[in-house]
Amino acid sequence: MSVLVTVIDPPDTSGKRRTLVLAEDRVGHYPEFRAFFERTFDLARVGLSQPGYLNVSTGGTYELVFLGRSAEPFPSGIEINAIVSALEPIDEERVDHEIWAILRWVIEGVGPPWTVQDLDATGRLYRVPAAQGPI
Amino acid sequence: MVLPDSIRPHWPYAPRFASVNGWRMHYVDEGAGDPVLLLHGNPTWGFLYRDFIPILTGAGHRVIVPDMIGFGLSEKPTREHAHSLDGHGANLIALVRKLDLQRVTMVCHDWGGPTGLSCALSNLERMRALVVMSTWAWRTPAAEFHTRIFPWRTMHAPLIGPYLLGKHSALAGRGVYLSVVDREKFRQRAQSAYEAVLPDPASRLLTWTWPRWIPLDDAARAGERFDWLESELARCTLPALIVWGREDEVFAADVFATRFKELLPHAEGPELVTGRHFLQEDSGPAIAERIVRFLAEVRRREGI
Repeated sequence: MSVLVTVIDPPDTSGKRRTLVLAEDRVGHYPEFRAFFERTFDLARVGLSQPGYLNVSTGGTYELVFLGRSAEPFPSGIEINAIVSALEPIDEERVDHEIWAILRWVIEGVGPPWTVQDLDATGRLYRVPAAQGPI
Repeated sequence: MVLPDSIRPHWPYAPRFASVNGWRMHYVDEGAGDPVLLLHGNPTWGFLYRDFIPILTGAGHRVIVPDMIGFGLSEKPTREHAHSLDGHGANLIALVRKLDLQRVTMVCHDWGGPTGLSCALSNLERMRALVVMSTWAWRTPAAEFHTRIFPWRTMHAPLIGPYLLGKHSALAGRGVYLSVVDREKFRQRAQSAYEAVLPDPASRLLTWTWPRWIPLDDAARAGERFDWLESELARCTLPALIVWGREDEVFAADVFATRFKELLPHAEGPELVTGRHFLQEDSGPAIAERIVRFLAEVRRREGI
């Protein structure tokens, strides 16, 4: 069964902490990736005023912090934070699989010529555990 | 930085460090004579040339092997914007000037090509000869491999690059493994040396940053530098040797070695050896001995 990724409203973060799990300094390297985030999170209107949030159907909640850089279109970068119980270590394997699910969701949203099939094949070629299947 | 014990017998060289262009660069400096500078690319380090060093020093050459800033035992910047083609060229120029190297033979592989040739072609008075292997020095056309969505462009795409090449070390581990001919020998004898010096995701930043500097169209960031490299190379009269891997699928010999020969018609080669992109892993001693013969011929022509 495929893992679903859904955009959600800001969650209640009391008793939680944000833990950085992935950072990208150059989301516009391929401009269609930046365009995907801009339209998905209405960033032309929202700007830096609030992060985006995602729910992954395996249970994780993630915050997307959009970064600006002088002289570059917004957003120039993205930090992805897992929102987890404040003092609990993360479940590394589950988080890794959920990041993979988020990457698949991104590629599906960016669209052709980028395909989830190519992403999965790349993950398998380089033997990424999450690309081999669910936990 | 801790090298695996199994690596040390193959890398017994004294570590040296120099401050270059604001960064701490590691290099080895062995032997005496006219210097031969051995330049690696992504995602390797000086270890790639371990088989070259005793052969070249034994033939009366001084061998200097720097680790590119961001790789090997050199300082590893933590921000993508710390890296640029011109910045890496300037790092090498700083090393050459700091060591006051003269009569340099520049041996270039992968990103050691655009960076090393930037250094060589802007400091011709210090250069003696060029050796190029599995690299390029022009804007387009790119290698067909580099234009494909699967796997090349996918593996360094936004967010996927930091995940696949950062968190999962795809290039430093399996990536090099897939680009040698004798994969089992590589796995047993060398793979851990490349993985050990890039132990954490942040230390692997340059492995997904360099792919993003490969020019694929007219809007490429380093386009003007590649245009300059191509035009300067076409005017270059330094003695040159072209060596290529027969099985190279990244920079195919019939395209890239041929293009170097067009730009450097006086060059020796292309000499084809057993090897994919990381041809030093399969044919290190043979290439080193070929360079020794090439430099002996250069010396003969110089009348020394």
